[in-house]
Amino acid sequence: MTVRHDRKVSILDVMGPVMVGPSSSHTAGTARLGRVAREILDEDPATVRFFLHPPLAATYRGHGSDFALVGGSIGLNVDDPRIPEAIRIAEQMGVNIEFKDEDLGEVHPNTVRIEIEGKTRKAEIVGSSIGGGVIEVFNINGFQTRFKGDSPTLLLFYRDRPGMISEVTRIIAEEGINIASLYCSRKQRGKDAFMQIDVDSPISDAALGRITAMKDVSEARYLDRIP
Amino acid sequence: MIESFAQLETIAKDRDLAEVFLETDEEEHGIPGEQILEALRKRRGVMLDCVVRGKSGGQSMGKLVGNEAKLLNEAFQSGKTFLDPLTVKAELYALSVMGENSRMGVIVAAPTAGAGGIVPGMLLALEEERKIDPEKTVRALVVAGGIGSIIALSANISGAAGGCQNEVGVASSMGAAAVAYMMGGNTHHSIQAAAIALKNTLGLVCDPVGGLVEVPCVKRNALFAVHGLTAAQLALAGVDSIIPMDEIVEAMVRIGRSLPRGLRETAEGGLATTLTGAAIGQRLKEEANQRRAARAAERERIAQERKKGVTS
Repeated sequence: MTVRHDRKVSILDVMGPVMVGPSSSHTAGTARLGRVAREILDEDPATVRFFLHPPLAATYRGHGSDFALVGGSIGLNVDDPRIPEAIRIAEQMGVNIEFKDEDLGEVHPNTVRIEIEGKTRKAEIVGSSIGGGVIEVFNINGFQTRFKGDSPTLLLFYRDRPGMISEVTRIIAEEGINIASLYCSRKQRGKDAFMQIDVDSPISDAALGRITAMKDVSEARYLDRIP
Repeated sequence: MIESFAQLETIAKDRDLAEVFLETDEEEHGIPGEQILEALRKRRGVMLDCVVRGKSGGQSMGKLVGNEAKLLNEAFQSGKTFLDPLTVKAELYALSVMGENSRMGVIVAAPTAGAGGIVPGMLLALEEERKIDPEKTVRALVVAGGIGSIIALSANISGAAGGCQNEVGVASSMGAAAVAYMMGGNTHHSIQAAAIALKNTLGLVCDPVGGLVEVPCVKRNALFAVHGLTAAQLALAGVDSIIPMDEIVEAMVRIGRSLPRGLRETAEGGLATTLTGAAIGQRLKEEANQRRAARAAERERIAQERKKGVTS
């Protein structure tokens, strides 16, 4: 029996993206993973550390994955012709870049863990580039999830308590926004928790403000579709 | 959601296949059909740019390839090619796109970068040779994308997941369906073209020399662009695949799983470990290490200079 994916990728994902070569999984997908880390951090990075799963560590250099990962992490799009120059640009920006090998377990061959730090914050993701530029991020700041970057998404870090989901979803519902999917995970009952809400249309700054102001929310981050 | 080719055949019978894919994509992803067509018009433009730029050649990042398109173009322009113009152009345009890709140029992943020469090679050559309205090509790109999206429901589209069949095989299959569409075939013809093309790429391994998208990828794109054209020709003549498309995709996934790791993009088997392939791999590794050392030295020099600047 073949494992089926739960969601069909769109025509534009298959017949695309428009990207800098030479490899959609090693160049475009990795650039998008770097970009996810940058968007979650939401400020200029000072240090970015890339931990490459062994099969990726063996093949990344020839495909320019190092340029792509760094390019994404400083905010470049996959079709930005500056990607081949990304490491030099990052160095000029004063960003400290590190590459290391790390066995990330039973995961897709092209998987990377990214630690990114800015002046005031830091973030961490683990994700795979599964082909054709499509990505799957399955860990954000230590929380299990499933993030593909193909729709607008709200990421919520909060303290676990009853009623949290209904309060957040009410605000989103009042905005007239449809929720496509919702993932929750927590480290321990009543402790740090995480919610990822994929939505069909953008969330307004006002709604994001209301969500951020909610009791027990430590951080709310709104991410647009990752180009 | 269209979950299988069997279902597609029923739903899209006697209908324009591109129209069906545009409708379902709007339902599933909320992207209006006109927006998809507009994006694909631009992407056709990117493909054409690659064909124009790529014909003049130039060395690749790994310095293994780069002048294939230039050589074939020179032979074609001086009347020294023996194949018919459609076939030569399909090869030429596929090589041009892959040349650009190997130089880190801007290309369209279709469905991947490593197999990105096949669909433009087939479609742009056909459009030019048979004087097909470019708008029809744009709709054929919808068909290609739609076919790929159904395959992607069960298969990861990457050489790392299942070998080259998952990239070049899928691209050739998507392109064959699109060509059948451009030549006036119906939904059945397109699915059969996709099936015949994909079936005959099963088992194709991903064994790139030095791990680069250069050898054998660049020339392979040219050959499988032609492969896709021949599959479309058979389907349009009424030849059907005995094994249905859904089962071919399932076989592809099973074959991909049973491929040893060394033949799934790791550069640890096949052509990559031939005498010549391994020697090139070794040289590339040494060059990369030298570059890295040079970069580290440069960083150190800048840091020292900054320090000096602070103390003086």
